Amino acid sequence: MGIEQFSDPPLLVLTSLAGGPKHGHAMIEDIVWLCGNRLGPGTLYGAISRLEQQGLIEPLPPEDRRQPYRLTAAGEHALRAKLNTLKHVTRSGLKRLEAL
Amino acid sequence: MKPAAARLLVGLYPRPWRQRYGEEFETLLLEQSDFLKILVDVAFSAAKERMSPTCGQAVPAAATSFRVVMKMPSAILPLALSLAALSVVLAHAAIFGVTHEKDEGTAAHLWQLLIGGALTVMIFFAAKWMPRATKQALAVLIIVSALMLANFAAVYFLT
Repeated sequence: MGIEQFSDPPLLVLTSLAGGPKHGHAMIEDIVWLCGNRLGPGTLYGAISRLEQQGLIEPLPPEDRRQPYRLTAAGEHALRAKLNTLKHVTRSGLKRLEAL
Repeated sequence: MKPAAARLLVGLYPRPWRQRYGEEFETLLLEQSDFLKILVDVAFSAAKERMSPTCGQAVPAAATSFRVVMKMPSAILPLALSLAALSVVLAHAAIFGVTHEKDEGTAAHLWQLLIGGALTVMIFFAAKWMPRATKQALAVLIIVSALMLANFAAVYFLT
């Protein structure tokens, strides 16, 4: 996997769910749209189960056999903190590149 | 993906995980193509789940005591196999005396099989229990390693 390919499945899942509740397939497509990275179903559900265990996402009532998830308040807080850190890293990195 | 293939992949996960996510995960798998790529992804994820469970596997405090970990089949088996291997060497030395043979006989092959089996189960035990109960698993591994060392010492000095 190249360095240009962004891969942080939990962050991608949280970011996807920040746009509203989604089930697995919708999350995969949304993440492709977000960063061009298509998560495998195992990777996606690895992230989902860990995020649910941490209380950052929660399931909604199932639709057919599909299970939608949404961000919890703790998930929203964690995502905001992570994105702010990333924003700082991105700004600093770009500033340093400009100075080269 | 065909339903049989999806069921097979779901089956790679531990039971508690399947009970929680199995149905929805199977539904997602049915919408996927490229079986080989998915197989690698799912196998890796299932192995990770088995090593570091996210649901239903929170080992209760009592279960992490040394005594309980020690009673696990994957802890008992390498101990039993190492002891059996040591017995083979000692019995061989008792019957034939301390002789340094050049050719490997039946006893040597039996010893190799027993030690090979013990090492394999020991690796499995370490992979399964080190992430869950590190101290207890380490204690078991030290005991098994000591028995292994005793085996190698016996082979070195008695045959």
